[in-house]
Amino acid sequence: MTITRPINNANDCMINIQSVNHVVTPGGQPLQILQDVTMQIQRGQSAAIVGRSGSGKTTLLGLMAGLDVPSSGAIYLDGEQINCLSEDERARLRAARVGFVFQSFQLLPSLTALENVLLPLELAGMVDARDKAIDLLQQVGLALRTHHTPRQLSGGEQQRVAIARAFAVTPRVLFADEPTGNLDSQTGADITDLLMKLNKQQGTTLVMVTHDDQLAARCDRQFHIDAGRVQSQ
Amino acid sequence: MIKALQQITIRRDLRLRQVKVMLAAVMIAVTTVATINLFAGHLQQTLMQTASSFLAADRQLIARSSQPIAEPLQQTARNMGLKTSKISQFSTMLTAGGAFQLTSVKAVDSAYPLRGQIEWQANLQAPREILQQGPAPGEIWLNPRLLRLLEMTIGEQVTVGEAQLTVSGLLLREPDSSFDLSAFAPHAMMHFADVAATNVIQPGSRVRHKLLLAGDENLLADFENSVQPEIDSGGHRWRDARDGDNLGESLNKAESFLLLGGSLAVLLAVVAIAVASRQYALQQRDTVALLKTLGLTSRAIRRLYATRLLVWGLLSTLAGLLIAVPFAWFLSAMTAQLMAQPLTFSLQLWTLWPTLLTALLVLFAFALPPVDRLRTTPAMQVLRSLPQLDRGFLAKDLVFSGLLVFGLLWLFAGALKLVLSLLAGLSVLLVVLLLFGWLFVSSVRSFKGGSTAWRSAIVALHRHKRATLSQLAVFAMTMMLAATLVLVRSSLLADWQAQLPEGAPNHFLVNIAPETVDDVDEFLSNEQLQRSPLYPMVRGRLTEINNQPAKQVALNPDDDELRRELNLTAALSYPDDNKIITGQWFTEDETEGLSIEQSLAESLGIKLGDKLSFTAGSDVFSGKVTSIRSVQWDSMQPNFYIMFPKNGALKDLPATYLSSFYLDPADKSVLNNFVRQFPTVSVLEIDHVIERIQDIIQQVTQAVEAILLLILLAALSVMVAVVSATMSERLREGALLRTLGAQQKLLVKATMLEFALIGLVAGILGVLAAEAAVWALQYRMFAGEFRWHWPVLLILPLISSILLALLGRWQLRPVLTVSPMLLLKRLE
Repeated sequence: MTITRPINNANDCMINIQSVNHVVTPGGQPLQILQDVTMQIQRGQSAAIVGRSGSGKTTLLGLMAGLDVPSSGAIYLDGEQINCLSEDERARLRAARVGFVFQSFQLLPSLTALENVLLPLELAGMVDARDKAIDLLQQVGLALRTHHTPRQLSGGEQQRVAIARAFAVTPRVLFADEPTGNLDSQTGADITDLLMKLNKQQGTTLVMVTHDDQLAARCDRQFHIDAGRVQSQ
Repeated sequence: MIKALQQITIRRDLRLRQVKVMLAAVMIAVTTVATINLFAGHLQQTLMQTASSFLAADRQLIARSSQPIAEPLQQTARNMGLKTSKISQFSTMLTAGGAFQLTSVKAVDSAYPLRGQIEWQANLQAPREILQQGPAPGEIWLNPRLLRLLEMTIGEQVTVGEAQLTVSGLLLREPDSSFDLSAFAPHAMMHFADVAATNVIQPGSRVRHKLLLAGDENLLADFENSVQPEIDSGGHRWRDARDGDNLGESLNKAESFLLLGGSLAVLLAVVAIAVASRQYALQQRDTVALLKTLGLTSRAIRRLYATRLLVWGLLSTLAGLLIAVPFAWFLSAMTAQLMAQPLTFSLQLWTLWPTLLTALLVLFAFALPPVDRLRTTPAMQVLRSLPQLDRGFLAKDLVFSGLLVFGLLWLFAGALKLVLSLLAGLSVLLVVLLLFGWLFVSSVRSFKGGSTAWRSAIVALHRHKRATLSQLAVFAMTMMLAATLVLVRSSLLADWQAQLPEGAPNHFLVNIAPETVDDVDEFLSNEQLQRSPLYPMVRGRLTEINNQPAKQVALNPDDDELRRELNLTAALSYPDDNKIITGQWFTEDETEGLSIEQSLAESLGIKLGDKLSFTAGSDVFSGKVTSIRSVQWDSMQPNFYIMFPKNGALKDLPATYLSSFYLDPADKSVLNNFVRQFPTVSVLEIDHVIERIQDIIQQVTQAVEAILLLILLAALSVMVAVVSATMSERLREGALLRTLGAQQKLLVKATMLEFALIGLVAGILGVLAAEAAVWALQYRMFAGEFRWHWPVLLILPLISSILLALLGRWQLRPVLTVSPMLLLKRLE
């Protein structure tokens, strides 16, 4: 699949956001979530988005990943202007180049750990999907738990499965929404190590929303968001 | 690409409660429709066969005049592949030694009977035998009474007209023995080939020729069409099995009931499917959002879920059929045994198309829409829970599914009017239910006092106003549909039972001479038999209406009743089961009046005050219509078209008397005494006719009960679907309350109380609605009379209340067995 759109930025820019505003109208009252956001994240960088609850962090992450489109402004992801793509075009782009890790893990409860990791591989039509999935589970330290369902796994283990799933298709960019938010500090630190390790190994761009200052400090760049406005630090 | 996911989820999502409910409902719908289809087909066939044996054929072509049935007609029928048999019936004098007796003779050919069997005895002491053929040429069979009247023994010769025939056996029962009172003369059966030799049939003699036909229903229809001109010219008339009043009506009512019940079961199943599939869709929103995030397009998601539903649908349809086929076979086998008939159950695939259509429609019209809308789930849902988007679709869904339900019902119940009134009724009910429900929910806060459990139940009812209201509406509808069927079933059965109550007369006495009336009366009284009064009977022809020839002025001049003699009587009071429709019954000193039966009056266009003239033999007499009566012809009581006052026109005419009585089968010896004491009185034993009708009623009852079971299962599936729909929220609250220190007991009590209250109110509303529906149905469809059904009115709300409380308790299990911590985690 090729998507031909004008690339107006340097090749080394993975995410480029230009003058993005986002307004939602829950219950009829317009509410400005993001205000004139402009920011860039380079390839291979790790970036943390920090801010208080309700400051617009998660919305920004969703817009970067193409889960939603902004009210105005332009967003480029890996050179594609994703705010001009249809929902299905954005989905195809995600399938090929984007990985996700969530606060609440978001594993499919009816699938085993292995099947959850297999899912994106099969979506991408990989031939040796199974071997690769087992290999990934080994890398995250779950070689013995491949046939357990999420319910039979602890929070930390579930997040490891989610990380294995996220890195399965060797994404160019990985979005993580509070990846340690539901974990105790020790497990959180382990998970962060794992994320950073795989990030370095695969040369993935990592964008992370977090409350955790320690975690944020380990990233190359930090963006602070307050009442919908972003300041780079 | 997503094959693996597809295969895995198809298998694993089967474990989900909503999916189980959905598939169970599809299965119930399929089982119901298939069972009704298969069994009704079998029932129809068996009943038609039984009914056919009443005719000794599938059809009778009866000559209206004394002319024999034209040979070409019979030839045509034979050429078309139909079985035929010719019979002639006439009355003649039989003589043997010094004794002679006027006898009704039936001459049959070798093919007789085409349907049913003859019961025969070699002599008075021999066991009964079942034969498939009449007497051979040169032989004659007499009924036992005739044998006694002629003072003969088996093997002797009897003279019929100019022929001598050998009495070779006793005729106990023939399939087409009529219980028309005109056939009271002693009875004999001989071979058709001997008729010519007797020389009994002369031009002008009273004889009835019939052509019996049997064969494939299509061939019969073809033949009917081909001879229609002949029929229309008035030379012949048809009789088919459905002409029998009792049978035809029972059959039609049962069929209507089965179809109505089937439609309602499907309707209930559809509600369960719609509710469960909505729940399933809600539950799948997170998964869909995740799949979208992982890059699945909405087309792929649509395919994923449509395939899933299709596979599930096929599986549950198959399962439904696997239940329905043996079930229908079992019912058929049971009825076949009851009817002492061979099992004719055959499974033809094409008869299953309504079933497959039902499965397809309920799946794609009710399960698919909410699931299909999953593809519009925003991907952002994966990051935060968003409000539901499918609210706006509810109205569209309702209209769409309303149309489909209508179509389905029309398909099954056939009658457009019935379906329209049913749906209109349901819509009105829904509005009323919502209104009452809203009143209940709004006023529930004011139910003060009581225990903690009671208070928290009340609070919960009030807090989940919307959920309470929708539950109330669905439960009340379910209760109404279930109650409607229970009520219709019981009044249907009561109706049938009332037609033939225990002790309905099973013997008729006719031809009682005036001088023996008092002796017969005394005999019957001494034996303490349940009996009707002794009615004088005069057979007379209606000749004039208001001094004009009846055949010219009657509304329907072709009416059979103008061609034949009617049974006329005189009495002080009318039979108990008659009703005066218009006019007044005679006063004691009335002499001029007469009372006419309603349908005859309508057919001939006779009104109150009309003067009717009759001839009986050489006597001519008349009377003025002073009342019109309705008559229960199928009650097995003596009944008359025309009744005169005791001192009216019939007073001085020669009459014979008739009566009827009930004789317990164990007391048959009484009959022998009677016959010995009154040899000239004809006894008509119709107990076997009654037995057969009762058999059929029992058979139909069983079918009705089997279907009712399926309907109650469908109702239960709706309840489970709706209760489990609200369960996840309840579980969350329950877990929270337990975490906060609430005792298990309190939770259980509060939940059970809450459901019990909803069940009680829904039960009351439902049963009242059902009474209204039954009233309408009875009135329009089953032509019965309305009465309140107190037991059901009281019991059903209680059952509904208890059932729902138990269902709530059962669904609440996880809250009680799992630690609150784990539960909270799981519910996140």
